[in-house]
Amino acid sequence: MTSGVRPYYVPGGNEELVFKAAFRQHLAILLKGPTGCGKTRFIEAMAYDLGRPLVTVACHDDLTTADLVGRFLLRDGETAWVDGPLTRAVRDGAICYLDEIVEARQDTTVVLHPLTDHRRQLPIDRLGRTLDAAPGFCVVVSYNPGYQSVLKDLKDSTRQRMVAIEMDFPPVDIEEKVVAHEAGVDHETAAELVRLGQAIRRLENAGLREVASTRVLIAAGRLVSEGLALRAAARAAVAGPLTDDPIVTAGLFEMIDAYTGDDPAAPA
Amino acid sequence: MSSLEHGTLERYELLASAVAGRAMRVAAAGPSEPAWTDGVSIFVDPALAPAERLCRLVLQAALLGSGSLDPPAPDRLARSTKVTQRYLALEGHRALAALEPLLPTAARELIDRNTAARSDSAAHSLMIASSREPLGDPPGAFGTIRPRQLRREGERRGAQEAAAPHHPRSEARGLLKELDDDQDDPRPGADLVSSPVGGAGAIGRLLKRLFRDQRTSTGGLPGADSPSHWGRAGARAARFGVSTAALPSALPAGEAVRSRGATYPEWDVQRRRYRADWCTVTEVEPKTADAVALVPSGVHALRRPLARLGTAVQLRDRQLQGTDIDIDAAVEAHVETLAGSPPGEAVYLDLVRCRRDLAVLLLLDVSGSAGEPSPTGGTVHDHQRAAAAALATALYDLGDRVALFTFRSQGRSAVQLTPVKRFDDPLDALVMRRLAGCEPGAYTRLGAAIRHGATVLTRDSGTSRRVLLVLSDGFAYDHGYEGAYGEADARRALSEARRLGTGCVCLSVGAATDAAALRRVFGTAAHAGVARPEQLPVVLAPLLRFALAAAEAQQRQAQHTTRTKERLEMDSRRSA
Repeated sequence: MTSGVRPYYVPGGNEELVFKAAFRQHLAILLKGPTGCGKTRFIEAMAYDLGRPLVTVACHDDLTTADLVGRFLLRDGETAWVDGPLTRAVRDGAICYLDEIVEARQDTTVVLHPLTDHRRQLPIDRLGRTLDAAPGFCVVVSYNPGYQSVLKDLKDSTRQRMVAIEMDFPPVDIEEKVVAHEAGVDHETAAELVRLGQAIRRLENAGLREVASTRVLIAAGRLVSEGLALRAAARAAVAGPLTDDPIVTAGLFEMIDAYTGDDPAAPA
Repeated sequence: MSSLEHGTLERYELLASAVAGRAMRVAAAGPSEPAWTDGVSIFVDPALAPAERLCRLVLQAALLGSGSLDPPAPDRLARSTKVTQRYLALEGHRALAALEPLLPTAARELIDRNTAARSDSAAHSLMIASSREPLGDPPGAFGTIRPRQLRREGERRGAQEAAAPHHPRSEARGLLKELDDDQDDPRPGADLVSSPVGGAGAIGRLLKRLFRDQRTSTGGLPGADSPSHWGRAGARAARFGVSTAALPSALPAGEAVRSRGATYPEWDVQRRRYRADWCTVTEVEPKTADAVALVPSGVHALRRPLARLGTAVQLRDRQLQGTDIDIDAAVEAHVETLAGSPPGEAVYLDLVRCRRDLAVLLLLDVSGSAGEPSPTGGTVHDHQRAAAAALATALYDLGDRVALFTFRSQGRSAVQLTPVKRFDDPLDALVMRRLAGCEPGAYTRLGAAIRHGATVLTRDSGTSRRVLLVLSDGFAYDHGYEGAYGEADARRALSEARRLGTGCVCLSVGAATDAAALRRVFGTAAHAGVARPEQLPVVLAPLLRFALAAAEAQQRQAQHTTRTKERLEMDSRRSA
């Protein structure tokens, strides 16, 4: 639950204020942002600050309402009800985080509707009961607008029940701090990685489908902290995951070489 | 320039694009020529040491990235070489300093902060450069500025934009009379849940990868217009130009005309109506050429994206066998056992691949323009034919219904389609020999060919899901079928096919046609241009998926309309 240290999160704007205000007002929260920009970490930090447990559900195509709400199982020859993650969060007053909500089918996400308006109730058909949400219950969904498939989008009725927080990759100084902290590398290395990341992000309109996220920069940093040369680490953790195309890869390698500058002797 | 050198410089394009903030090309400058840019490409001497080359490249890209070369600077600089040199000496430092957080270490060392601090904008630098304030010479690594080339390139881009204006949707609405609302709608698949062509949609992203657009100087909004890396071939091809000269050959004589021919209307964009029975399409039996059978290559790579197409895996519950236990069903079964009734045995979840029933008709453009040399080697015809062979083989192997027709025309009364492979023919060496025997010649009346292809597809395919795949350089030209007229008719023909529930995909392989021209011809149909047939696997699956989804949505809509009509009729009958 909420013990130990606060998950490392440095705010880039007013997102913490918005989140906490929405939480106190019992509003559901929609986090928008590119992959690897810190959405999950942000929620972990918020759950810690607010002293609430966090229940995370990774949404996928075949997620059914029963997977969220719960179902009957057999125990000693009798059926026994087992809560799903959403029901557990409703009972415990936890923050329920539905990651990549649009991956779930729209008929599944409808179960959130009575929970995310003034009613704050979860009707459980199979039990014939309606649960009132415990104080502290909060629905947070995340959503990556640039990334979803053609036919998937949030229903307007779902979307309008939410307060949206737009997230993006952190500004340079914060990202340097984050990379240095998470990867355990010195500030100089972190700065070089972030500069590379910034340059790659400018390519978003120029051929790359996905750009280097804070997450891949941290991964590169972690390889460096294991003793890899910066150039090799960046090739493995930044260029490799971004593309399979040989021409783009060659271009990225060239960028990495330019930005990781001064150790030409490093093994490529 | 050897291919090796070119490959080396090409590697720098991402870096240059990142610094410039827009898609850039990198090309070789002459030996010991200083580095310069025309706003589209950066020219550096490939013989320089990598570190020096890098600095020159980054400086030029930084000039573009920080707006130093935006109008009106080129106009002002074109008047005086001395001012240009002074401007470069000052603005170079300012541009580098402005973009410093983005620059590689080596390039940051170029910055002279004292100089950079003297100016705070390009306009300011221009003022200082034109004044008598003392300024040193620019370092050699700064290369040079060529204002005239910049201006020329800027004008060329401006002209291209003007040539392909975007038609607002509302305008199109008002003008269309004979077809229903969504014809010629600038947003493809307007009936889908979300527009897939925005920067966020799959097609938008795909197009972004494929096309380098000419209108990129703003580098702003993402979308189908955005610059990209993949389409470099397209841009390079622009230098080859699009030739309006089809080969002066008449249609090959001696080919047996199989049928009397079918007539099709043609869309007259100027008068906004159809010309009824305007074109006559005949099917000409293929010559059993003595050419060596074409060996399709790259089939394997195509098979994978195509195999996944449309055969969406579905998790079905309550199956007799499967990969996982359907817990709900299992619990019910157990409860039934306890209650004394025979339990159901279908207690598994299974991933079921729904077998598609898909028919694809490939329409291969064998007009004279396909005989043009391709920017990627060989002729466009070679590339398109190879792509047709690979596509037909891959689809056939997967068990889809495939037909392959070639088309060409010589005026409206002689549009000829040749069935290289009909739906019921086996795909064998004979088909490949016929394909190998195809020679480009005559003209392209694209609309009539598409209409006939769609008709054959609907008549002979026998499947509910159909795709018309047009392989063409996107260059519609025939007698009385030039420019905007031909383009509008081709677009119209494609939207007619879609309305009948046929998905349309248009591919241009190795052709010199740029993205804007393809868009004019293929309109809202899923289309793409690739430089080489090997790139097809990347683009094909999303295109086909989109085309099928659009066609299915149209079909559903049509069914819905029919059902509603029936219900209304029944109601009115009952009340009567």
